[in-house]
Amino acid sequence: MANDRLRALEDVEKEIALVLQSAGTIVLELSKEKANASLLDRQLNQFQTSINRVENELSAQIRYLTQVATGQPHEGSTYSARKDCQMALNRAEYARVKLGELGRTCEIMLDPQT
Amino acid sequence: MTSQRVLPQSKESLLQNYNKRLKDDIRSILDNFTEIIKTAKVEDETQVFRATQAEQDHYEMHVRAANIVRAGESLMKLVSDLKQFLILNDFPSVNEAISLRNQQLRTLQEECDKKLISLRDEIAIDLYELEEEYYSSSCGQWDGVELPLCEAFHRRDSWGSPETTSDLSHANPEDSDHLGTQESMHGSSTSEQS
Repeated sequence: MANDRLRALEDVEKEIALVLQSAGTIVLELSKEKANASLLDRQLNQFQTSINRVENELSAQIRYLTQVATGQPHEGSTYSARKDCQMALNRAEYARVKLGELGRTCEIMLDPQT
Repeated sequence: MTSQRVLPQSKESLLQNYNKRLKDDIRSILDNFTEIIKTAKVEDETQVFRATQAEQDHYEMHVRAANIVRAGESLMKLVSDLKQFLILNDFPSVNEAISLRNQQLRTLQEECDKKLISLRDEIAIDLYELEEEYYSSSCGQWDGVELPLCEAFHRRDSWGSPETTSDLSHANPEDSDHLGTQESMHGSSTSEQS
């Protein structure tokens, strides 16, 4: 859910760049001796579509934030779960180390050369 | 029916500020672009010389283009501020992210502990067999101080049958103490891993 909204804002950034790009293409095309009318129409449609999309999306985001924002800091945390998981990984690592020592001890005992 | 939310003044004014910036920047882009297109039209009659008019139009277009770029950058800054506000204040998303992360970590922890417990069980079986082999051989005579695991299991099995009841009355009281010690050690190791 959070990723969707952030991804939507990333798309809005690309749309803003598209707005500026299409505006520049239009002005560049107008500066020529013979302007391509179809290109101008396409770029103008692109410009209008993009700017409407930017305005609608950002308005929707601000409306959503007006509804969900509480003004209080969020006090949730994953600390306890992270700590428990870290302790479990430490237990596994300790068991691995001890088994490694046991294996080396057995090899030393069974080695006929020593 | 949606109830009116009473936001703190700072948050409400912040969101109103975002709205205002959005409207102003969009308006700036549209107006400046429209004026550039209007200025691009070549007029036959001008109040000043054509060269002067061209120079004026050139300068005006530069300024309006710069305004469009400034409004675009202001919109990008607005998007960045909205992203930050969203990350900090979108509680439904934050709650979902926290619960998902907790679930992942808990799953990993349970998997780890399950594997450790199965490893412990396997090693206990191997240890039982090794001890049985060792203490039944000539070099592994039990001195009666520490009860080996195999002997503890043997004793536990024999306690169930009535034939060995009379044998228990002659049993060494130290053996039951060491048996209790071994059982408590196994019990504490089980509780640690759970």
